[in-house]
Amino acid sequence: MSVSRDDFSIAFRSALLQRGGAQKFSVLSLIFLALVIFFLDIYGSKFTQPFKGVINDVVYRVTYLASAPTRIFPKAGENISSFMNVREENKKLKAEIEKYKSLELNVEFLSDENKNLQKILETEYFNKNLTNIVLAKVLVDKDSPFLKSIIINKGTKNGVLKGMPVTKDNYLVGRVVETNYLSSRVLLLNDLNSRIPVTLDQGAQAILSGSGSKNPLLEYLPEDYDVVDSLNIFASGKDGIFTAGTPIGKTNSSGTVDLFVDPNQLSFVTVNLNVQSRGNF
Amino acid sequence: MAKYSIISKLSNGGPLLLLYYLCISEVDTNLEELFEIFTLNFQIILIYFWVIKRPDIMANGHIFLAGLINDVVMGFPLGLSSLSYLIIIFVGTYVRNKSVNTTIASDWFTFFMAMIFSNLLFFSLLNNFSDLAFSLTKIGYNMFFTLFMFPVFWLLFNIYQVTFMTNRDA
Repeated sequence: MSVSRDDFSIAFRSALLQRGGAQKFSVLSLIFLALVIFFLDIYGSKFTQPFKGVINDVVYRVTYLASAPTRIFPKAGENISSFMNVREENKKLKAEIEKYKSLELNVEFLSDENKNLQKILETEYFNKNLTNIVLAKVLVDKDSPFLKSIIINKGTKNGVLKGMPVTKDNYLVGRVVETNYLSSRVLLLNDLNSRIPVTLDQGAQAILSGSGSKNPLLEYLPEDYDVVDSLNIFASGKDGIFTAGTPIGKTNSSGTVDLFVDPNQLSFVTVNLNVQSRGNF
Repeated sequence: MAKYSIISKLSNGGPLLLLYYLCISEVDTNLEELFEIFTLNFQIILIYFWVIKRPDIMANGHIFLAGLINDVVMGFPLGLSSLSYLIIIFVGTYVRNKSVNTTIASDWFTFFMAMIFSNLLFFSLLNNFSDLAFSLTKIGYNMFFTLFMFPVFWLLFNIYQVTFMTNRDA
């Protein structure tokens, strides 16, 4: 009995303290170091923030370079197939241009009318000041079962601050949750930690909660409210962060929300710096 | 002779390079697009297998560093993945010290224990010391598929070991 206990303690100690050969550090010393780093990161944010920011910037750049093959090969395949179909596509595009030309006059009239109505309602058109929008490239889009976020190549150097809304083609994508000097992390709408006040087509208010899957959920809807298919969802702007009226997605038959922008297909996004001047952060 | 040495060094360093690449690149084993709930933690399979079979090619310091890189890329608090990987190393080294001959079944069972300890530490620290929310269902699926896929990678890694790697005693 005592022999087996000795065996256990020898094997246990050896696993924790063994060094030599390829192992220059013992497991115990590295566990201790990892715990120190972990608690420094959690509690010593002011002290470690600049240091962490530099590490983040460097690692994100290296990640971007290391992921180049995974981006280049699928794109090369797409380019070859699109080159083969260029003639047909040209015909289609010409037809589409004709169609849009006829619609242009109508759109011009409607946008003028829309602006006038907004003036009457004293609301701000969310795209009014284009100089306060920063175009950013997605550096890293690593999918995780637990966190849905992307890294963009704009940081505090370009005026990006925590909490700023991020859009693509004027559709809301998420918000900035971490900023470094040259890069930032954007929490996507489908992340489990994402909560956004929204308005539905019919005027009902709700909270759009990320579910960790592709389709976020609507929570805190009015009592006895039936969510029907194809209702448009906009940011309500009640949090003072997201601009009211920014389109987000549409409800589907399963009661969840189909986002207008596929969170897995982002390559360029825009960060709305307008909110910065309002002093919300 | 020199050429042979370079090739053998490369093939012996393959698993470590793969670990670094998985941690630093966009390549992930979150295959939810393929099958709704299919996600697995490939890194811990990789670490556990090579720690019990060839610890000389998986240095603790490298695994620690890979964990730190993984935390930066994934957005977890720094040191969390390193801790989780070090627990895997600890259980793997303990099993190696205690056992003479291992089979796929024994490795599978001990891997299950290592994964439980590692994930328990990972998610309890994440839950208690950060604001990040996570779904227990997703953790369950992730653990199930990681465990389920272990024998497959065990066989593949064994084939790699026999085919490409030189014996440490050679």
